[in-house]
Amino acid sequence: MKYESQGIAKMYFIAAIGLFVGQILFGVTMGLQYVWGDFLFPAIPFNVARMVHTNLLIVWLLFGFMGSAYFLVPEESERELYAPWLAKIMFWIFLVAGALTILGYLLVPYATLAEMTMNNLLPTMGREFLEQPTITKIGIVIVALAFLFNIGMTILTGKKTVITLVLLTGLAGLAVFFLFSFYVPDNLVLDKYFWWFVVHLWVEGVWELILASFLAYVLIKVTGVDREVIEKWLYIIIAMALISGLVGTGHHFFWIGTPDYWQWLGSIFSALEPIPFFMMTLFAFNVVNKRRRDHANKAAVLWALGTAVMAFLGAGVWGFLHTLAPVNYYTHGTQITAAHGHMAFYGAYVMVVLTMISYSMPIMRGQKAANVKAQALEMWSFWLMTVSMVFITLFLTGAGILQVYLQRYSEAPLPFMVVQDKIAIFYWLRELAGLVFLIGLLLYIYSFFAKGKEVGNIEAIAS
Amino acid sequence: MTNKFQNQQQLKNASNAALASILNLTLLPVIGFIALYSIYKKTKPHNIDHYHAVLGMKINIIAAIVLLLVTALMILLGGFDSPWTWVYVISYFTIVHTTFIMIALWVLVRSWSGDKLFNDA
Repeated sequence: MKYESQGIAKMYFIAAIGLFVGQILFGVTMGLQYVWGDFLFPAIPFNVARMVHTNLLIVWLLFGFMGSAYFLVPEESERELYAPWLAKIMFWIFLVAGALTILGYLLVPYATLAEMTMNNLLPTMGREFLEQPTITKIGIVIVALAFLFNIGMTILTGKKTVITLVLLTGLAGLAVFFLFSFYVPDNLVLDKYFWWFVVHLWVEGVWELILASFLAYVLIKVTGVDREVIEKWLYIIIAMALISGLVGTGHHFFWIGTPDYWQWLGSIFSALEPIPFFMMTLFAFNVVNKRRRDHANKAAVLWALGTAVMAFLGAGVWGFLHTLAPVNYYTHGTQITAAHGHMAFYGAYVMVVLTMISYSMPIMRGQKAANVKAQALEMWSFWLMTVSMVFITLFLTGAGILQVYLQRYSEAPLPFMVVQDKIAIFYWLRELAGLVFLIGLLLYIYSFFAKGKEVGNIEAIAS
Repeated sequence: MTNKFQNQQQLKNASNAALASILNLTLLPVIGFIALYSIYKKTKPHNIDHYHAVLGMKINIIAAIVLLLVTALMILLGGFDSPWTWVYVISYFTIVHTTFIMIALWVLVRSWSGDKLFNDA
């Protein structure tokens, strides 16, 4: 580790992994509730399990992004972090606020939570993914601004690279777009606009910049390919991500009472959205093919390549599958959306955070790479989680196609709950795949504690 | 076995062939294949551009068979009006099509560096 303050990333990563486990436990619980409706009822109703599952995802990814940025930025900027103490304080504030929020979801009815947190003073609760009480949202803004200040000052007073500037742009966008969550118009259509300005512009906009910068950083480190080559790719990828992603927001405006032109704009621009992911895969393949060394951390290389491929599959291919307005007319809000959501979040954002952890954790523990056994276990966990996620996606896709046909396309459409019974087999299969995913995650955690033969600092020159 | 000596034109032809192969699989079906075939006609056996043109054509012909023929069989045997047919067809087509695109992507990267898909033993 070149700079001592990079070590702050460790606490963020540990918290991220802990919350990741929580997210998957609630996912598995909810998966079972699809087929066994009374499971854990009334202690954990389905709507609460879902809220915790999605909110934990967002929170742990934010922890992962912050930890990754704290590791990456000092090294790229060639200086210590501007205010390491601020990063530590913000960590505890964010962790405590997050934990209290989740406990609030679980222990009191949502309406009571709204009353307890004085939501009526500035009502922001009740929107999917943005269910957090207003006071938590204010906490998120404070943490995000403090984080941005810390990272921004480190970058601006240190060496500036394309990677750090792209990362800073992405992180600034993350903070700015979250502010739309405080505006909740009475008009439902307007409300949806502003809701998507947070949700869509995060995951199909600025988060892609964060993803690309993390991936570029790790690929420079593990392949030894010239920075200039990687930076050129980065420019093109982020340009395509913004060109397609910003107007691509329109694919959420098809059926919510907005003008018809959104069907054209949304279809055309979101059909372009696979391009940056396609280029990311091409970029990752290209630099790995041109690598100048075989890095000792093989697990990190595997995660990096896996991120590019799975992001293309989940965000690109499965997004395109239902993004054109005439198709989306039938598929909107079905299990096809869930299939896309699962693989896109895993492929793009979960995997890039795990890539950063895989690369940086051994360094923070004083090693170039984890020992041979730990890496083998980590690679096993990679395959278990990735393959099970592919199956989760396939089963949900199957469920979605059947749902669309029986509920929306057939000449004699069946009611929602009747169709749910008919697609139950897919939910059982998805649950099994979810359990395999959980095993993969537990193996991933175990890999940090595995003892084995050290790999040392050997870096073979690639032939 | 391809010749070790590669000139710039061969490298350009090789990467154009690999690009045409991807285009045929994605944005420009048929047109991409015609472009690929025209590159093939310009190449000489044992050169890297010839190798990539032939490989591109093989990938695309196999993809056409595996995608179109198997899909057509699924529809014929499963029935056009059966929802289960579409569960299989859409899932199968998406995953297999993406696999071919991934293979073609790796081939493109290999062509840029003047390499064959697999290194000679």
